[in-house]
Formats: sequence, structure tokens, C-alpha cells
Amino acid sequence: MSLHFIKAGLQTSIQDLGRHGLMHQGISNSGAMDSNSIKLANWLVGKPIESPVIEVTLIGPIIRFEGPMTIAICGAQFELYLNGDLVFNDETIQIKKDDVLEFDRIRQGARAYIAFSGDLQLTPILGSCSTHLTAKFGGFNNRQINDKDRLEITSFTLSSNKKIPAINEVTYSGNYLLRCTHSVESEQFSQQQSKQFFSQRYQVTPECNRMGIKLTGKPITFKEKPDITSCGLTQGSIQIPPSGQAIISSVDGQTIGGYPRIANVISADLPILGQLKAGDQLNFTLVTQSLAEKMLAEIQILQNKMTGS
Amino acid sequence: MNVADSCSFSYKIVDNGDAALTIIFDEPSSEILTRKIVTVQQKIKDSSGDDFLDIIPAYQSITILFDLLKISKDNLKKKLSDILNQSIEPSNYQSKLLEIPVCYESEYALDLSELARHCQMSERQVIATHTSEMYLVHMLGFLPGFLYLGGLSSRLYCPRKNNPTARIPAGSVGIGGEQTGIYPVESPGGWHIIGCTPTPMFDPTRDNPAIASPLDRVKFIAIGQSEFLKLQKKYEETTQ
Repeated sequence: MSLHFIKAGLQTSIQDLGRHGLMHQGISNSGAMDSNSIKLANWLVGKPIESPVIEVTLIGPIIRFEGPMTIAICGAQFELYLNGDLVFNDETIQIKKDDVLEFDRIRQGARAYIAFSGDLQLTPILGSCSTHLTAKFGGFNNRQINDKDRLEITSFTLSSNKKIPAINEVTYSGNYLLRCTHSVESEQFSQQQSKQFFSQRYQVTPECNRMGIKLTGKPITFKEKPDITSCGLTQGSIQIPPSGQAIISSVDGQTIGGYPRIANVISADLPILGQLKAGDQLNFTLVTQSLAEKMLAEIQILQNKMTGS
Repeated sequence: MNVADSCSFSYKIVDNGDAALTIIFDEPSSEILTRKIVTVQQKIKDSSGDDFLDIIPAYQSITILFDLLKISKDNLKKKLSDILNQSIEPSNYQSKLLEIPVCYESEYALDLSELARHCQMSERQVIATHTSEMYLVHMLGFLPGFLYLGGLSSRLYCPRKNNPTARIPAGSVGIGGEQTGIYPVESPGGWHIIGCTPTPMFDPTRDNPAIASPLDRVKFIAIGQSEFLKLQKKYEETTQ
């Protein structure tokens, strides 16, 4: 039985929680850019939360299902139609043979995640089914999904109807405050530069993808060229290149960075990066390490409550 | 910030976001430092392998990414300091020598004439200089399987292009600033392209997708187009 992509959408790809332990070979983690929504979607269909799903970006697909199954969609909110009738995020959707799911206009966020009660037939590469779009490996045929692709699904059972508890639901306003801690070169920025960075409002540019997110604001200028050596670059690093405009690195980004980093988005806020799109407004604020740890632990507790683990 | 007196190198441990730490060594990039970094990296892996997700060695640093829910940053920092303050036997890693065939003919060397002009050399001299050096792998990064090589002759230094090329084919050999390297996958880039290798630099179906590790050595061997095509065909057949 297969999923038939009548239309693939803008950038539709298979993602799970990514691959670790290979950054020393230049291989970034990949995986769902919004690692929160993938877990919610998998939980709804009764799958382990790290199972591969379909990541949909800005313009969604039209999919015909060649057999019955249970699906769930979390993350960005699109207008969703099943055979012409509205269906919704954050709850199970029961699918019959030959049903057609259509992603229409996007209302909130940037990336949605479709989870399935069945198993997508995929071969993990380097420990993950995620598609590495820049290096072209993993996922479905080492690439994003194209029009007319068919994705095989095996060994599934239907799952019972479920909804995401209200406390776990997320909305995306397009206006975010991202919390940060220090990064390697933070101390090389003057007080004035830091003050400017943490007080001004940034806008997300159209150059916003799985490698990184370019922002625009009043440029941060250097009197002297900063003294830095290339070193390990992590997700959420906010680099200031010579243009003075900030770039946030993301899941498919480089593993070594050469621009000074003014700050780093905390782990608890990284999922939001997957929901940013051109025109969104951002502010940054500096928090302590202990708050960053507490915020991540709280998300984990909420998830554990939901999954009952 | 820690500065250790008791070990053979001084370092500091700095924050790299909330879930990573970077050890920065206070000495210029060199083969000796790369050997130390390889040694320390192995020691960290051996003594606290479960605590980290990824470890990225670089010219003068090691970055350790960890699971914030499993270990606190303060605890990891302490563990790293303990490791760095012990006396550490230098790595006995046996360097591999990789001979990488490169076709420098014009079809694969779009920027060779421009680079030769900049360096005030003939194209033939550029190729002779590029193939005469032995290069040291310091680190991997930028793109999957990309090798940061040390040892480029200063006669071949050439600033990066002002306008990056949109699509540089996989295998292209380039020079940018004071560095030379091979694009392992198709990518945009600002380096001057002087040739192309048919040898796959990155193969995700291997357990070790990259062709080399830090401390390995690379030598470029000039080949003609017919040899290039023959090798390219051979590699295509073996990967199918």
C-alpha cells in the first residue's frame, strides 16, 4: 500500500529526530526542524515519538491514500481538506482507501508534520531516516519528495481517536521572543553591540531554510575585525558575518563556523526555528544556564505527562 | 574560565550555547596541536562517552555537544577539566597517506587561468606546486566529508572570489585564501576551482562516510582526462 503524492508541495521531506555523532565528519544532525511537533504527531498515531514523519514546508502536498490508516498533523496550521471536508491539526484523522488529503492555505507557522499509524518503508542511513537535503542522502531516494512519488507503507494498525491535550498545544504568532545563552565569541562583542542585539527587533528574511535563518535589522558593526578561529557550530548559534546581519544556524547547517557568534538560542526554543518564515518578527533575550536547563526539563515533563511515560 | 598549569598545554573552556562547551587551546594551529586535539578527543570519548551527543575537533578547539537532560553543564565542565589536567599520552594514531587523483585540464579547472594570473605563474607551475606538497588533514566540516588541509604553498594563496559560484560540482578541487580543499558534494562556493577528482570524498553508505580523518596526509596526483573518465566510471559502477 502506498501514499501517492499528487502534488509534492514546496519542500516535503522525510525527517525523524536526526542523526548524532557524525558532526566530526562534517555531517550535521538533520531531523525535524520543529522537534516538538514531530513528537506530538507520532504520539497521536501511537508510534514511538522519534519515528520518521513527513515534514511539510509553507506549501503543502496533495496526497491520495491507497489504503486505510490513521494519520495526525501537528505544527504549522494549514487549511486541511480530506475529500473536500475540513480536517484539523492536533487530532487523529481516520483515512479510508482512496481518500485525498489536501494542504491549502497556510495560516500559522511554517512547517507541519504528518505522522502515520503504519511504517514508512525506508532504509535508515547512518542511523536515521532523515533526509539531508544539502548533502543529498537519506529519507526517500536521497531527496525531497517530488510530484507523483509513491511512498510505501507497511505493517500498520489503525489507532484510536486522540487529541493533543490543551496544555501541549502550540500556536505560532509570527512574533517571537527567543531566549539565548552565551556562545564562544559572545565576550568579544562590546557592551554596546550586545545591547543593540538584545534590544532591537529583527525580521526573518526569505533566506530561511533548514541550513539557517537570515535576519535583517540594524547591522551590528565592528570597529576591528574580530579575532576568531573556525570551531564547532551548533544549532541555534547566532553568527554575525561582516554584513552585520544575524544568521541563526539550523539542523542541516555547517558543523564548523567561521563568523563570531553573539549568542545561542536555548535548546527549549529551538523548535520555534522550524516555524519561522519570511516577515516574522524576532526579539532576543539573555537568560541564565540554569533557566535554560529548567525550561527544557519543563517541556520534557509536559511531554512525559502526555505520553504517560 | 580555566587555565591549567599542570598539563602540557593551556586552555580555556567556554560556553557554546546551553548544550555545548568548547575547549579552546591557547596555541597556534599546527600538526603538534592537531595531534594533541586528536588525543584529548579520544580521551573524552573513552572516559565519558555516554555524556555527549557529538564532538567536533577543529584547528585549535574541541566542541562537545551534550544532552542537557542527562548531564548539567557544570558537571560536564568539571569532567572535562579533570581529563585535561591529567597527563595525556600523545596519540599514536598512524596517519594514512591518501593519493588523490586530480584532473587539472581546463574542462574541470574553470578558474585555473585566473588563479595562475593572480599568482604570476604559468598554469603548469600552479599544477606542479599544488601536486608537490604533502597536506595534513586538520579537521572536517563545512560540508559532509570536507577536509580542512594544511600545507598549501604560500605562492598559491589567492583571495576568495567576490561572487561565489552557484553550483560547484562534487569532487572539485579549489583554492580559497590560504587553503586548498575538495568539494565533497555539489555546493555553492567562493573558491577558485583548479581541478576535479573522480574519487568520491563522501559516501553515506559507508560506516565512515568521509575518506580521511585528522592527522591523515593527502597528496594530489595529476591525471589526464581519459584517466579521470575511466576512474569516474569505475567508482560509479562500484557504488551502484
